[in-house]
Amino acid sequence: MSYKIETQNLSAWFGSKQVLQDITMKIKGNVVTAIIGPSGCGKTTLIRCLNRMHELTPRAKVTGKVLLDGEDIYGENVDPVTVRRRIGMVFQKPNPFPMMSIYDNVAAGLKLNGIVDKHRLDKIVEKSLKAAHLWDEVKLELGKSGASLSGGQQQRLCIARALAIEPEVILMDEPTSALDPTAAAKIEQLIRILAEDYTVVIVTHNMQQAARVSDFTAFLYLGKLVEYGSTKDIFENPKSELTEKYITGEFG
Amino acid sequence: MSRIIDAGLEELSVMLCRMGELTYETVSLSLKGCLNGTSVYSQVNKMSDALVSMSDQAEDKAFELIARFQPVASDLRTIKSYMKIAYDFARYSRYALDISYITKQFGGLKECEKWITEYIEKMSEKVLTMVRTSIDALRSHDTQLAKTIAKTEEEADKMYFEYLDRLIEKAPATSKCTISSVLVVRYLERIADHATYVCESVIYLATGEKTILR
Repeated sequence: MSYKIETQNLSAWFGSKQVLQDITMKIKGNVVTAIIGPSGCGKTTLIRCLNRMHELTPRAKVTGKVLLDGEDIYGENVDPVTVRRRIGMVFQKPNPFPMMSIYDNVAAGLKLNGIVDKHRLDKIVEKSLKAAHLWDEVKLELGKSGASLSGGQQQRLCIARALAIEPEVILMDEPTSALDPTAAAKIEQLIRILAEDYTVVIVTHNMQQAARVSDFTAFLYLGKLVEYGSTKDIFENPKSELTEKYITGEFG
Repeated sequence: MSRIIDAGLEELSVMLCRMGELTYETVSLSLKGCLNGTSVYSQVNKMSDALVSMSDQAEDKAFELIARFQPVASDLRTIKSYMKIAYDFARYSRYALDISYITKQFGGLKECEKWITEYIEKMSEKVLTMVRTSIDALRSHDTQLAKTIAKTEEEADKMYFEYLDRLIEKAPATSKCTISSVLVVRYLERIADHATYVCESVIYLATGEKTILR
């Protein structure tokens, strides 16, 4: 069976501090994979290693391999920008470009990639906003500032922005933690829909969210992958006592 | 520091243990009545109603815990198992009520030949042992004890079919005895099944393994 992403003995450091230790895991395509674990366990670092964002941090180091469709993204001739184009990211706090309109926020990545044809841009912006389930709410005010939207809408705008450059994988780092429950529920529904066309990896503090949205769950503790399996198995019958204790709230 | 859900789980566990003891008394009383030919129907009826109502309460409590705490892993398995066990206990008591109805309606086994009453007494003892095993295994989440029920379940099953065979070979003198005894062994066999389900649930809640002990 082929996997969309495969990490092999992936380790990461901030300076001399090792934050990930020998993570080997295979992530299936077109499913949602959740990464859970207590604060500081390396969840965010792990997904930042999946699209070469970790190396943007000063004194950060990565060893091991991350295969995307079987090819190591840390290979010698691989351009990290190309990697990030194929593997998009949505962050904890909605971060639309504040000075840009809704339209320009979505089109920004495309323009940077040299697409200037207005008709083509219009089509991609509409398609991305529709895919992010935001189109109906903003179609009449695309010229308005992205910052004028509600928190939940801003997050969906960021998802639309990520989708516009047609990535294959979407990484989400706590995408609902800054949102109210209703807005969070919309994002969760959206995540399920996105998995039909994309591979989604989500980092979440909210275990119930992982249980609701993901097909597979990985539990990380102190930089190590403790358990990784189907979400059903992890939440019904985890193999590791540590996982059991974490998800039932005995620690964390 | 204990988790908030722990108090609810403890409450549910106490409720189930109480149900277990009452269910044992109920089954035991109905069998005694049946073997002696004394009607204990109204008493068993009250006990059985109490158990059905306790089963409903346990289900409500379990639902509340699910709604409020969204339990996972062993917590979720415990709640699911407790709901099933509460139902099994209520079923024990319903079969006990059925047995006491036979006593009330047809005088139990008093018209039966000695070999029949002795046979059913033996089967009753076996099934009561199974009921006790299920209650004790639940109280301490003892999976080893729970597993021992497989052997007695097989024996109880065998006794049930053997009884039917013997009855065909050697028909009792009265049809009252035939009907009463067949129904009693049938109910005993059903109680034995539910005791086995309880033990399977105990293994599941403690280990996550879905075991078939039948």
